[in-house]
Amino acid sequence: MRHARIIFEGRELDIDIDANDRTTTPDGQELDVALDSDDITWLPPVKEPGTIFALGLNYADHATELAFEPPKEPLVFIKHANTLTGHKQVSYRPDNIEFQHYECELVALIGKAGKNIKREDAMDYVAGYTVCNDFAIRDYLENYYRPNLRVKSRDSLLPMGPWIVDREDVADVKNLRLTTEVNGKITQDGSTKDMIFDIPFLVEYLSQIMTLNPGDMIATGTPHGVVDMQPGDTVVCTIENICSLETRIVSEKEYYGDKY
Amino acid sequence: MTANTLVNSKLVCVALNDKSQLAALQDTFNEAPYKKPPTEPVLYYKPRNTWNVDGAQVEWAKDFDGNDVPAMAVGASLGVVIGRETCRVSQAEALDFVRGYTIVCDFSLPEESYFRPDIKGKCLDTSAPIGPEIVPADTIADPDALTVTIHVNGEQKSAFPLADMERSVAELISKISWIMTLKPGEIIAVGFAGDRVPVARGDRVEATIEGVGTLTNTLGGA
Repeated sequence: MRHARIIFEGRELDIDIDANDRTTTPDGQELDVALDSDDITWLPPVKEPGTIFALGLNYADHATELAFEPPKEPLVFIKHANTLTGHKQVSYRPDNIEFQHYECELVALIGKAGKNIKREDAMDYVAGYTVCNDFAIRDYLENYYRPNLRVKSRDSLLPMGPWIVDREDVADVKNLRLTTEVNGKITQDGSTKDMIFDIPFLVEYLSQIMTLNPGDMIATGTPHGVVDMQPGDTVVCTIENICSLETRIVSEKEYYGDKY
Repeated sequence: MTANTLVNSKLVCVALNDKSQLAALQDTFNEAPYKKPPTEPVLYYKPRNTWNVDGAQVEWAKDFDGNDVPAMAVGASLGVVIGRETCRVSQAEALDFVRGYTIVCDFSLPEESYFRPDIKGKCLDTSAPIGPEIVPADTIADPDALTVTIHVNGEQKSAFPLADMERSVAELISKISWIMTLKPGEIIAVGFAGDRVPVARGDRVEATIEGVGTLTNTLGGA
């Protein structure tokens, strides 16, 4: 089963989506709408987002691309809900920058609380998976708590969704094709098999430091193949058997409107 | 997670905001891996598992082998509590968005490097007590004129006048609001004395700001 949050006919709804793309609300109402309909507004799929952990340099080829040695210990940074937006929504490109890139990533959603979780038990704590696009503004990088919040904590720059897929419905999370298309052309093509630190490792690692709680998420990093984005571009991040996440880039002025 | 914390959804902390600390580290910051001093506020989060309350125990951290860590330290900061949505505000109007003030303690492993996000050092359960209460903004005429003190077992270990901050409260609110939209109840810990105070198991730590109150916590593990 898949789970999403949408606005449909003026109502905010938590929906379940079955294998035949049938969509039902918690009170059993079936919605008469196709998943690709423009009548659906997609919200970030986690209703009460907790701490979002994101991984840097977690694919060896991407680390090399950025001229870094692959790390011996996970490079983890934290994000919060202000960065989240949904499928088919917009993310903005700040004014006066040279390089903004997407990062297509597999996300593991934590489903129950735990501390000191053993690697072999880790998957019991994962409720499901989704896709995120963890945009970075490389111009703003500084060597203090890098990647710093100015790069990675901006409003709208973590699109996620459209839905969460239950863990038991994904046969082999360690071998999923991951692709990104910009304006219809494939620019990133990798596999989750090339992750340096896999989900069980990360759950064990993080839970040795702190308690993980339901609603926490782990965005597991991105492989080689990042390119610059400009307003007007459409980027689609896809992970096989999970979902495809579409985002349109707008200018800072268009995004903030009256607050610009 | 500790219930009834005073913070809602986000606690942003400002590191390296003590002028004398920045001056002392100038040479270090011109070398690898930093290569040049910071040009923008150095920020980190204390996530929700760290949030704690006045009077509560702070856990003594364990290492990856399950043993007690050899050392912990504490810093204390004025906590600026956001009162309404704060998006891209100017420094001149920034204080209008403040609902009130409180105290934030940041218990952590000793700060050794500022190069990578310090998840292992900073994200420890119960390590961010906030309190004892939120005093209304209009009771504090000038937040940058306050002094934050830390007493350990009754003895004063640190006094940090906020006049010694590299960036003022208003400047930080403005700068941060141009990165992320802040929501009511979110808190910014605006600056800590550069010299963090070493603590031991069982220590009683009191962080005080005149007019804001005293936040008291005890280290576990004794």
